[in-house]
Amino acid sequence: MNTIADRFARCAKLAALILGLGLQAGAGAADVVVVVSARSAISSLSRSEVADIFLGRAQRFPDGAPAVPIDLAEGSDIRDAFYSTIADRTPAQVKAQWSKIIFTGRGMPPEAVGDSAQVKRRLGADPNAIGYLDRAQTDASVRVLMTK
Amino acid sequence: MPIAQHVPDTANERPAPAHSAAAHRRGPTAVSALCLLWLLLAQTSARAQEADAPWIRFNGYGTLGEVHSSEEQADFTSSIDKPNGAGHSRDWSADVDSVIAAQLTAQLAPRWSAMIQVVSKQRYDNSYLPGVEWANLKFQATPELSLRAGRVVMPSFLVSDDRQVGYAIPWVRPPLEVYSLVPITKNDGLDASYRVERHGATNTLQSNYGSLHTVGPAGQGSDARNQWGIYDTLEIGPLTVHTAYHQAHLSVSNLQGFFSAFRDFGPPGDRIANQYACDGKLIPLRSVGVDYDPGSWFLMSEWARSDGHCFIGAQSGWYVSGGYRLGSFTPYLTTAALKAQSNTSDPGLVPAGPPTLQRNIAALDGQLNAVLASTGSENSVSAGLRWDFLKNMDLKFQVDRIHPEDGSAGVLMYVQPGFRSGGDFYVYSMTLDFVF
Repeated sequence: MNTIADRFARCAKLAALILGLGLQAGAGAADVVVVVSARSAISSLSRSEVADIFLGRAQRFPDGAPAVPIDLAEGSDIRDAFYSTIADRTPAQVKAQWSKIIFTGRGMPPEAVGDSAQVKRRLGADPNAIGYLDRAQTDASVRVLMTK
Repeated sequence: MPIAQHVPDTANERPAPAHSAAAHRRGPTAVSALCLLWLLLAQTSARAQEADAPWIRFNGYGTLGEVHSSEEQADFTSSIDKPNGAGHSRDWSADVDSVIAAQLTAQLAPRWSAMIQVVSKQRYDNSYLPGVEWANLKFQATPELSLRAGRVVMPSFLVSDDRQVGYAIPWVRPPLEVYSLVPITKNDGLDASYRVERHGATNTLQSNYGSLHTVGPAGQGSDARNQWGIYDTLEIGPLTVHTAYHQAHLSVSNLQGFFSAFRDFGPPGDRIANQYACDGKLIPLRSVGVDYDPGSWFLMSEWARSDGHCFIGAQSGWYVSGGYRLGSFTPYLTTAALKAQSNTSDPGLVPAGPPTLQRNIAALDGQLNAVLASTGSENSVSAGLRWDFLKNMDLKFQVDRIHPEDGSAGVLMYVQPGFRSGGDFYVYSMTLDFVF
């Protein structure tokens, strides 16, 4: 067992070393805010409520209205920062979570759009939509949610 | 291996499936069929989709694995369906964990959807002939209640319905001390799911009813009838609690002749045949599992007990597993145990009469005890590392130290006469998992 434990510890150290850079790059890259349509009745959600909606664990807002999450395309820095902030999850962990849901026939991941302008357009068209933006991209068409 | 980066170009497009070139498997026909299917469907699935408009999606997953076992007197593999594994039959076996699967999901109408998932993996006949893992039609009766008809994988454990999706699970394979307990993994029939979301928690209560016919070597097989179960999954943020009960009446054809031979010996033989023949005997399973995964680490634990009222026997198993994420690396540790809960030997018939008859009786008794002894006990410790080295792909390395107990071979199969219980052996596994 000692040999296994030793190897394990060495692997973990090596991993920490190699990934040191990657970890720093992910943190604080963008100031991401959670947004809903300006016509939505919702003004605040907890982080875990937002995470539940985007990770397929909840299909509704706490008030019972159906939630329609809008994602940014995979590979977007804002998307990565959102999942890191809201759910402490890497893109791979988000993909793994959705793989569980897809391959058991329980659902499909949120619709993904190409950029912030399209997120705002979708929120404008659907009062039940929820998305996320870089704070600098917000305007009067969306409501920035307080996330506890 | 290039992975297509997909950038949707209009507001209403869903991401097109990223095609993985890692789909090279032994089953060349299966792979070319999948590629063809992908070419045909890539167009369709990338089309714009309105919320309620019909759509069709193509997804797939796969694992390429290699496994070595230090125990040469038996085979280590991942399922009782497999005819060989690592250890005795092969020094290194790619068959233990390798799998490729393709899935079509379609929204047919606002409340109607359908899915089919075809899986190619080593079968009982050593081929990689694809089989249907899932095929069902789903009706969303109300926002809470959904009904499915067709084939559904049994949600016996926390990750049993996605146990083959290596990318979705933390380990090379789910701990066999629990996941080997179910002889029936699918249900052909009906299934209802009732999902309630309240106060930040989601509870899904599921129930199913149906049967399953399984084909084995030489036309042998098994039949699970009057199969039903009730399953509950409670999710509160990072916490998931899963409980399950299911039962079936199981008939296994390949030992029927063996047990009817006992009936020639009157009441003592009848006693043995009645007790051990799987001819419609009740097989209940109960399990409870907990997963806590706040993101940067996870802790999972499950306990399960299967009570086969025939030669399959009763067993209970548990595991505790935890991991810590360091960027794209997730090292993990697991400890697990499996324990036989029914007798693993029987005095059998008492040899009497002329010498040839006595020899026959002794031979029958010997075979009976060999069958009963295959209800194994073991404990194990595993250490592994998951590395998410590319988008939609991971590499895993895992070492298991397994200790078969109580004179049994644990989860090992095709045990050779030279096997000795009570020692340790090591299993070394590496897998490449991908989803597309």
